[in-house]
Amino acid sequence: MSAPRYKTFKEAVDALIKWTVERLERTPFAAFKFTFPKQYISPYGYLGTLTAIVFLVLGVSGAILMFYYSPSVDLAFSSVREIQDSVPFGFVMRQVHYHASNFMVLLAVFHLYYQYFSGRYKIKNEVLWVTGIILGILTVLEAYTGYNLILNQRAMLAINIGMGLTFSAPVLGPTVAPILMGGGYFDLIVRFYALHVFIIPLLMLLLLAVHVPRALIIDMPMIVGVLGAIFVVAGMFPAEIGIRFDPSKGLVEVPEWYLTSIYAFLRTGSERFWSGALLPLLFAIFFLIVPFVDKSKKLSWRDRPFFAAMGIASIVMIIVTTVWGFYVDFSQRTVFDQLYVEPVIYYSSFGIMTLASFFVTYRYLVKPRGKPAPAKPVVLTPGAGLAAVAVTMALVIVFGYLAVLTYAQNMPNISMFHMGMSLILLGMMLHFYRHTSQTTAKPR
Amino acid sequence: MPESGASRRRALRAMLTVAVLAVIAPFTNLVRFFYREETGSSPRQRIANISELKPGSSIFFSYPKTGDPKIDGDPFRQWMLVMTNDGKLRAYSRVCVHLWCLPIYVPDRSELMCPCHGSIYRDDDGVAIAGPAAFQPYPTNALPMMVIEVDEKGDIYATGVVDGRIGLGREWRVRRPDDNVRRV
Repeated sequence: MSAPRYKTFKEAVDALIKWTVERLERTPFAAFKFTFPKQYISPYGYLGTLTAIVFLVLGVSGAILMFYYSPSVDLAFSSVREIQDSVPFGFVMRQVHYHASNFMVLLAVFHLYYQYFSGRYKIKNEVLWVTGIILGILTVLEAYTGYNLILNQRAMLAINIGMGLTFSAPVLGPTVAPILMGGGYFDLIVRFYALHVFIIPLLMLLLLAVHVPRALIIDMPMIVGVLGAIFVVAGMFPAEIGIRFDPSKGLVEVPEWYLTSIYAFLRTGSERFWSGALLPLLFAIFFLIVPFVDKSKKLSWRDRPFFAAMGIASIVMIIVTTVWGFYVDFSQRTVFDQLYVEPVIYYSSFGIMTLASFFVTYRYLVKPRGKPAPAKPVVLTPGAGLAAVAVTMALVIVFGYLAVLTYAQNMPNISMFHMGMSLILLGMMLHFYRHTSQTTAKPR
Repeated sequence: MPESGASRRRALRAMLTVAVLAVIAPFTNLVRFFYREETGSSPRQRIANISELKPGSSIFFSYPKTGDPKIDGDPFRQWMLVMTNDGKLRAYSRVCVHLWCLPIYVPDRSELMCPCHGSIYRDDDGVAIAGPAAFQPYPTNALPMMVIEVDEKGDIYATGVVDGRIGLGREWRVRRPDDNVRRV
């Protein structure tokens, strides 16, 4: 038995990779078709992959945060403060986890709308679409249970609103709510923890197994860039811990941005369940049933003006209700008046926004236009490409050095900004790298 | 005979269904796992003696008391024994029916006031008269009450009988507040 001989180390590595790939064909991995694009392609098409990558980041950072977090009503807040202030690198871990959650919600929304406007829920994609909508709802629930674990004033507002809504649900409410509440907050925090770290992520992974398409685009420059963006945003807007929950003190608080739209509904003073749960649910129901209503063969939104207008109206409503949810009129004397949203103006604005969306869509947007000129790709000469790689590499090193320097000087948020910048520049460098390897490829 | 073959298959299926249902049935009890059942706490709990209260004063107490500060400090176990300015005894849940903050007693105005969003409750029946709680429909606009007993020595006991649902409201048109105070 003679061992195979390889002339170079590279040959041996290539042989090992080939060996592994051939054996992976016996596993479910063979069903996937991974594409590593050789040039820039629009990220709209693989926003789902980016969402999944951020989900992975959340899984890793969240698992590490579990080492220090205590899901106990008297220790939760102080343990988060310990992570943020005392644990080495705890600040970075917490900020990554927090801001990655924002990115995940945002990327999921963009993913939804790109797929919506390009009609991807058709062409036998109904199962992918419906599981995607359920994944989106689970993503928000996951984020909701997550930020409640801090047990600060903002968390208590969210818990109390959420539990109040559950309680007020007709028929099932008083039966379901105690399952989440247990005997009180000392049970609730443990149950939310179990939901956040295990039950909801497990459900999401199971759904993901159905939701993930077989053709996957892995664009490393963009993935690294998104990771860098999380760090940059975290460095610029580090999340606060807030004030420890105390139900005997009043504070004007606003929930996380993906929930302020529901918050605005509740502040109109109309019946709690009707305004806070049923109306937002209409949104979810619309997206759930759209593949079964829009039966036309057309894919482009320009050919489907009604659904294009509905999509635009929903975006406008999300923006307006979200901004309204943040608005607090501090000129009023009492907290109640500061937070009150006039229901007549609020609900009638929905009608106006919908009408305006339909008008703009039919009047301006869906008009057929001439074919857009194909984009002319920018091609760098091999020399310029090499220079671009060299410059970005130098900048990656500079920002990496600055990150270490600022962290050592106890400025973790500025350090995170520099880490993010070096990641983004690494993404750019990867792009220049693949571009230049293409332009300097040996002719065959 | 094809006829009896079909009916035999139907009978087989029916028997299998019955067996599967019989296996599942006892498991439905598992749902009780999700609800914490109170154990080891006595329903009758002494709150205070009436001599400790004067008109226009209040005493906070947690019910059911376990001795574990983490559990006893839970908002849903916070109660308030109030003696109104005209000497009536009332035991209210402290959980505001709007968003579960903990109201306090303001004797000068004969009101209970919530610190968070300014809900105001009357002190003699716990019904919200202003603020967001007052906007909520009946019966979600009144504080739940605890039925209390006052014995001949003046000791006041919480009975554990709650008129209403904590954090949610009370059917205050059905039962008079005075019915929740018993002399024994």
